[in-house]
Amino acid sequence: MTSLSVQNQQPFPIDDIPILSVKEFENSVREELLAQARMIGLFGLETTESATTVVAVLGHSSTSAIHLLGTTFTPANNRYRSFADVDPQTHYFECELAENHQIIPEGHPWLRPVRKQTIILANQPYSMYKMEGEEIHEVAVGPIHAGVIEPGHFRFQCHGELVYHLEIILGYQHRGIEKLLLNASPSQQSIICESITGDTVIGHSMAYALAVEALSNTSVSLRTQVFRSLAEELERIAMHLAGLGGIANDVGYAIGSASYGRLRTLAINSTALLCGSRFGRGFIVPGGLQFDPTDEAIEALKVNLHVVQHDVLVINEVMFGSTSVLGRLDHTGTVEKEWAQSIGMVGPAARASGLDVDTRSQFPYGAYKYIHLPLITLSSCDVFARARMRSLEIDESLRFIFDQLENLPSGSVQSEMNAIRANSGVVSLIEGWRGEIAHCAFTDSKGIWKRYRIKDPSFHNWYGLSLALRSEAISDFPLCNKSFDLSYSGHDL
Amino acid sequence: MIESIQLRIMQGDPIVHDVHHATLPPLFRGMPELHPEKCPDGCKECVNICPTGALQLHPLRIDLGLCVFCPACERSCPEKAIHFTREYHISCSSRNQLIVGGTQSSITPEIASKKIRDYFGKSLKLRQISAGGCNGCELEINATSNVNFDMGRFGIEFVASPRHADGVVITGPLTKTMAQATELCFDAVPAPKVIILVGTCAISGGIFKGSPEIDRTFLGSHSIDLYIPGCPPHPLTFLTGILDWLDRKV
Repeated sequence: MTSLSVQNQQPFPIDDIPILSVKEFENSVREELLAQARMIGLFGLETTESATTVVAVLGHSSTSAIHLLGTTFTPANNRYRSFADVDPQTHYFECELAENHQIIPEGHPWLRPVRKQTIILANQPYSMYKMEGEEIHEVAVGPIHAGVIEPGHFRFQCHGELVYHLEIILGYQHRGIEKLLLNASPSQQSIICESITGDTVIGHSMAYALAVEALSNTSVSLRTQVFRSLAEELERIAMHLAGLGGIANDVGYAIGSASYGRLRTLAINSTALLCGSRFGRGFIVPGGLQFDPTDEAIEALKVNLHVVQHDVLVINEVMFGSTSVLGRLDHTGTVEKEWAQSIGMVGPAARASGLDVDTRSQFPYGAYKYIHLPLITLSSCDVFARARMRSLEIDESLRFIFDQLENLPSGSVQSEMNAIRANSGVVSLIEGWRGEIAHCAFTDSKGIWKRYRIKDPSFHNWYGLSLALRSEAISDFPLCNKSFDLSYSGHDL
Repeated sequence: MIESIQLRIMQGDPIVHDVHHATLPPLFRGMPELHPEKCPDGCKECVNICPTGALQLHPLRIDLGLCVFCPACERSCPEKAIHFTREYHISCSSRNQLIVGGTQSSITPEIASKKIRDYFGKSLKLRQISAGGCNGCELEINATSNVNFDMGRFGIEFVASPRHADGVVITGPLTKTMAQATELCFDAVPAPKVIILVGTCAISGGIFKGSPEIDRTFLGSHSIDLYIPGCPPHPLTFLTGILDWLDRKV
């Protein structure tokens, strides 16, 4: 195949990416997709007035290889054949490319705005999907929702209680992160990456740190790596506890919501023991960690996590043993495995639909190169599976943390940084608690970013939520939404 | 039923009873303690490294409305002239109060007007608007209502509709795409009403200050009642800030 093959966090010279003709590019990407590749990115790398270089990034989980290939579009020649007929997972990437660079995918099933809400392609207004007919009605919700959550607009096409289609319009959180990163100082870049989405601080700051370290040929100590993955698993535990509490709340199971809530406080307070911030801000930076956890902090962490480990088992047993809870979770918001596969879902939501996707085992990085976590999947594809998946992942993450705490490596948590390579690129994949986070970074001739591309797992999974609502009662929307627990700010950037 | 009761017993007493005297983790970064007398001549390490330009020299001061409470300045200072203490009482009612220097140990907001206290002193219902917030502030605001912080016991609650609210709590740097919704939501709140800004992004734009995707005109045309700094603010900063502002003795 005509592509550059690299591993996760392996730097490469940008010139090694083959730039093909549009026709060859179409064919090669199709071949990749037919060979079971997952699309990680499709974005403009360089834009001048006369041309845009577009790069496709595709991941092969069976071989842990990441393939990159590119092509050039000009304003006169700005069309290519959409890949969505071979593999629908590309549809949203194609919309994004069209929105950002006016490059048109011919034969695309449904060209929609990604962040611009009402316009697509050179100010063409976009009208939301609308059903017509007797007794058909439309429900519009947002951008501001009833709870304390981020903004997004949901448009339901209903017949009575039944939802035929849910269209999700995002972009309200767009802060221009990718552009801000280009001119930011290193200390600013760390803060920006921590703020991509404030519930995945560790995930995004780690993806950023590993990208910078790869491009600067900086190696970090085993202690750093272990503490980074420990923090990542802590973040996973805390957010999964928060999610389970939310699910319990949405089915009106108050004692469950209160119990998970209390344990989540313990979990995030444990993160604060490591770095002072309950969300892990300020912990991970390129070159290592800003804090070397003391023995007292680790002892206090153990005490907290023992409580979490003991209590969560009891709460899980009660909640997942309650027929009134199960009655609401079972067969609600089902996303069949084939659907999940075809739209490229990631993370626990995908694993709950039976897909084997986990960056930690398929594209190992940091400490996960040496320490393996089991890849769990479930088969019922519904809200129950997504909730149960989160409780199972909490158990595994706790086991992982306790194992690591038994035998912590010693050494410094700070390494001397080398200069960042010029004209180079890297793909940095991390399994955040929602799934695959991808940071694709490219430098110019001075070693300064010329493109920094971020993909949050929510980018894939929002469409999963749309599918989960099909033929579902509209009253189950909050429950389905919480079971996916997606990021608005991570999507909007 | 028995299981639920057992669960309730297992919960124990998780609540922070005395919200004014809680002990936060040793590394928590709250009110900074500054020692300008230690600054070496011509040293600009902290100013150079600060990601949001929150530091000023001569005399050394930090603008908590810009500070993201990262450890960069404290770590870069060769003389340890900057130290973030665990003090979480840092909310205030005027923007200038957020610029702190020297060894001032905490910030107390000025007490709200009699009218505001008469209306909202015993019951304050708030509508939250996330306008580009990263979900950090949103999660901490949600945490104020959990079993640990239980803000409801003070009569302070978040409500679903602006029509039911006495004011708005804004998080995030105010994105262009949320400008109209923010304005509409605030208009829907019946007067008298208050505006509370939570988090560095809402107060100053923070790390997103200067981004072309931000539109902060809404803030320019309204007066702000309370500033709650932090990145994100600790739930106790939020809680004690509002209690102090309403002059509630707890």
